Amino acid sequence: MKLKLYADRMSQPVRAVIIFCKKNGIDFEEIRVDIAKRQHLTTEYAEINPMKQLPAIVDGRFKLFESHAILVYLASSFPGVADHWYPADVFKRSKIHSVLDWHHSNLRRGPTTIVRNTVLAPVLGRPLNPEAAAEGEKFLSASLSKIESIWLKGNGRFLLGGNQPSIADLSLVCDIMQLELLGETERNRFLGPYKEVQQWIENTRNATNPHFDEVHKILMKAREKLQNLRLKGANNEGGESDMKRTLHSRI
Amino acid sequence: MKLKVYADRLSQPVRAVIIFCEVNGIEYEEIKVDLANREHLTPEFSEINPMQQLPAIVHGTFKLFESHAILIYLASSFPGVADHWYPDDVYKRSKIHSVLDWHHSNLRRGPITIVQNSILAPVFRRPLNPEAVAEGEKILSAALSKIESFWLDDNRPFLLGENQPSIADLSLVCDIMQVKLVGETDWNRLLGPYKKVQQWIENTRNATNPHFDELHKVLKELKEKLQN
Repeated sequence: MKLKLYADRMSQPVRAVIIFCKKNGIDFEEIRVDIAKRQHLTTEYAEINPMKQLPAIVDGRFKLFESHAILVYLASSFPGVADHWYPADVFKRSKIHSVLDWHHSNLRRGPTTIVRNTVLAPVLGRPLNPEAAAEGEKFLSASLSKIESIWLKGNGRFLLGGNQPSIADLSLVCDIMQLELLGETERNRFLGPYKEVQQWIENTRNATNPHFDEVHKILMKAREKLQNLRLKGANNEGGESDMKRTLHSRI
Repeated sequence: MKLKVYADRLSQPVRAVIIFCEVNGIEYEEIKVDLANREHLTPEFSEINPMQQLPAIVHGTFKLFESHAILIYLASSFPGVADHWYPDDVYKRSKIHSVLDWHHSNLRRGPITIVQNSILAPVFRRPLNPEAVAEGEKILSAALSKIESFWLDDNRPFLLGENQPSIADLSLVCDIMQVKLVGETDWNRLLGPYKKVQQWIENTRNATNPHFDELHKVLKELKEKLQN
């Protein structure tokens, strides 16, 4: 009865769940559901998650989707998960719920929106949409500012003044990592003003390596491909279908 | 150490928290923070909640915001809260988390978008925006459709096939109730196709009355005021 995790590592919430499992020695079978190939829209996958999104888990006969719910379930159900990930203390736990909820309506609407409407648009068969991307940028900046001044207040290395990471750190940092797809210049433009945020990302990465880097490899590879294809596309026509073909074969 | 709830009953998540307190006999002091008068944007309220949103609670020295986090905290901390609101069973509890999370990115954006760009626009000094209203209606319909076909079981009165309400039922129903502000005709148009949803709203109302009706009076009163 091994845990099954339905995953595409291009998805931020998927990465958070995988890193959590690896860090905590939770045995799981990773079942690839390729978003770019629209495998999440098949009737087979709808049996697993009728909302057709990733991640989803199946643990025995128990099915669950929504990454925060999954992280809380895993922290609560698997022995050996250190308390700091999802503390038993009701006050600490409530604050983590508060961050995770805030995330949905704030940070979550940033990186995904920017990336889907710019660099990943051709891969996902969507039109470029600079207006939508600009909306995403507003959410991102407002959120980073709030993380810098509110959630990272205090002397801790992690959110909420903690000295150890929680599922909230993992979830939010994985989301911000999606910005890597835009390339270093753009990423630095967004993160530049926020020194605490940059340090916190590094802290979270260090606390969960080597898994963090390993799980994010796909993003770095995709970034390289996208950069090369952009250069190629600048030199000749037909870049779009080239991009799609190459990304599908390499990711 | 009485619980303080910073509230404007015009806000759906505020209503969910107050109804929950009332139904479960949780003693609290309701402190009005008037959204229309922008009281949530004052430096005083920022001390309570730096995100400048409602609801927020203060319990002794403990401050908390985000209604789902608040509902979970109250269910976990106050004695006498029946298990069905936020079950101990990890499987049932996880499913509730799943609905509450789904809510943020799906239903939550529907009613608020409709109402803030139509009837409540003048109250918040915003322009009317029929395009945004249409967007909000699409979001609402898509969410209602998923509730009708997936979250609600054919034979059970509440979400996730349960016989008793949970904090998820309360949170989502309070959100849908916001649509009452646009009037009966539009309410019937938007909710009409979803028979199970309509029954579920009624079930949730019955399970939490008289508090449900009491808390939703503000919507009736505001609608009448705006129409005159």
